[in-house]
Amino acid sequence: MLPIFVLTLRQLSGKWRLSIMSVLALLPVIIAVLMVSFEGAPTVREFEDAVLSGILAGAISPLVVLAIASAAFANEIEDSTLANLVLAPIPRWQIVVPKLLAAICVSGPFIAISAFLTGYFAYSADFRSALAVTGAAIVGVALYSSAFVWLGLMTTRAIGYGLIYIVLWEGFFSSFVMGVRFFSVRYYSIAWMHGFDARRFAGFDDFGFGLAVVASVAVFGGFLLLAIRRLRYMDVP
Amino acid sequence: MDALPAADAVTTNGEAPVIRVDRVSRWFGSVVAVSDVTFSVTPGITGLLGPNGAGKTTLLRMMTGLVDPSDGTVTVFGEPVRRNPPLYGRMGVMSEHETVYGFMKGRDFVRMMGRLRGVTDEAAVDKAIDRVDLAEAADRPMGTYSRGMRQRMRLAGTLVHDPEILILDEPLNGADPRQRVHFQSLLRKLAAEGRTIVLSSHILEEVEQLADTVLLIVNGKLAASGDFRAIRVALDERPYHVLVVSDSPRELAAAVVQLGSVDAVNVDPDGTLVVLSRNVRDLQIELPRLAQSASISLRRVEPLDDSLESVFGYLVER
Repeated sequence: MLPIFVLTLRQLSGKWRLSIMSVLALLPVIIAVLMVSFEGAPTVREFEDAVLSGILAGAISPLVVLAIASAAFANEIEDSTLANLVLAPIPRWQIVVPKLLAAICVSGPFIAISAFLTGYFAYSADFRSALAVTGAAIVGVALYSSAFVWLGLMTTRAIGYGLIYIVLWEGFFSSFVMGVRFFSVRYYSIAWMHGFDARRFAGFDDFGFGLAVVASVAVFGGFLLLAIRRLRYMDVP
Repeated sequence: MDALPAADAVTTNGEAPVIRVDRVSRWFGSVVAVSDVTFSVTPGITGLLGPNGAGKTTLLRMMTGLVDPSDGTVTVFGEPVRRNPPLYGRMGVMSEHETVYGFMKGRDFVRMMGRLRGVTDEAAVDKAIDRVDLAEAADRPMGTYSRGMRQRMRLAGTLVHDPEILILDEPLNGADPRQRVHFQSLLRKLAAEGRTIVLSSHILEEVEQLADTVLLIVNGKLAASGDFRAIRVALDERPYHVLVVSDSPRELAAAVVQLGSVDAVNVDPDGTLVVLSRNVRDLQIELPRLAQSASISLRRVEPLDDSLESVFGYLVER
């Protein structure tokens, strides 16, 4: 699995892609600093809704992951190098798993650093809260990565469909339709954050930590299995 | 004249087939790319010959398990090739796409291909690179390679695990004449070691120089298969159509039809002559002489069916 992991890391680490990711990842930090620097700073709940949930978990994280994870297979399909991998005598999961891990490893640091700094500045240098925000963001990265790696195998228009999903599902419907939150990576991520630091985020739960863990495992495993199945049955260009 | 081998002929020569393609078809929507093709491949070099768009690549992709047939079966060593990763360790496949990982050094590419196929021995990597004569360029990024070098390094990646079967789609694309000769000699050597090699090409001479057996694909169908000599004899004896424009078409037609190299002459209403000949070489010599002796000006002499498609079309009609 190591050669595919290393290959994918290198493929996903293009200069331009990483530069754009850096700028995107910086946005929540800047917004957090601006919000807490002015009088009438938001409450913990308001900050969570606006920045951690709305911007970090619901927009920046999925956008960064979409740009990276959807390319894990899409680039190889586009330039027809995928045959080099699928014609190796290894099970399909040994191709999908290292690619997924590479996508997480490339996008994870951007979001983790962004989340940590955002939490750190927002919660007056409270290390535990900052770590809770970071841990939850990493969970979000893993879930989005699993979904977008699969999407990159399903269609050559993964970026387009991914954007529609982020704007409509994670952005619009999950904000205004309560039931949708049970099927939203953004809200799973927030539930993980509450679970990691119940002290600061007590009483904020849309749904319980246990349910978020189960749902996260289901989403991550489900899309991973779908990707493996897709690779097994698809016509490889 | 020997008849062409039947389209569904099996190229086993009494040996057990290594690859068996049985009544295979593949369609994409309403487009039929391959239609009801059956053949077998034994050790040695088999050339898959056909014009561009004939269905060669689709057929090769089905033979490698990259694509599912819409109908029929493909087996390699008696096992279904599709969704059978353990079998891929015995096969080396080089697709027609020339894209490489431009950031990767040639040696790293061959090493990666080896690792994915269970080869951890660095000597195997060196051997594969030596075989394609690219040791000097092996430590350069592949993005800096010429087209021919990329093809050769891809071949090294295909050979690194010492496969029993090689399936090569248009492998000589981009190769210069020297590389071509080296490549052909390498393939002959590999075949002499007992490997089964299937290579596709749309260039008749390329396949003729290399292949023991030919599979002729036209419009998605197997038009002929078997020994190349039978196909070559048929080609040599095919009638050519030559268009001739002159200032005295009727006079020229009357004289040309007397030539031994000419089978028939048609005069179009616009005065254009279409000469049918089975001996174009003699016609090339006799026609100018005849025109000169009769004081007729030849304005245009042009073969009408020199394209590969017309050659294949002729063979299919037989």
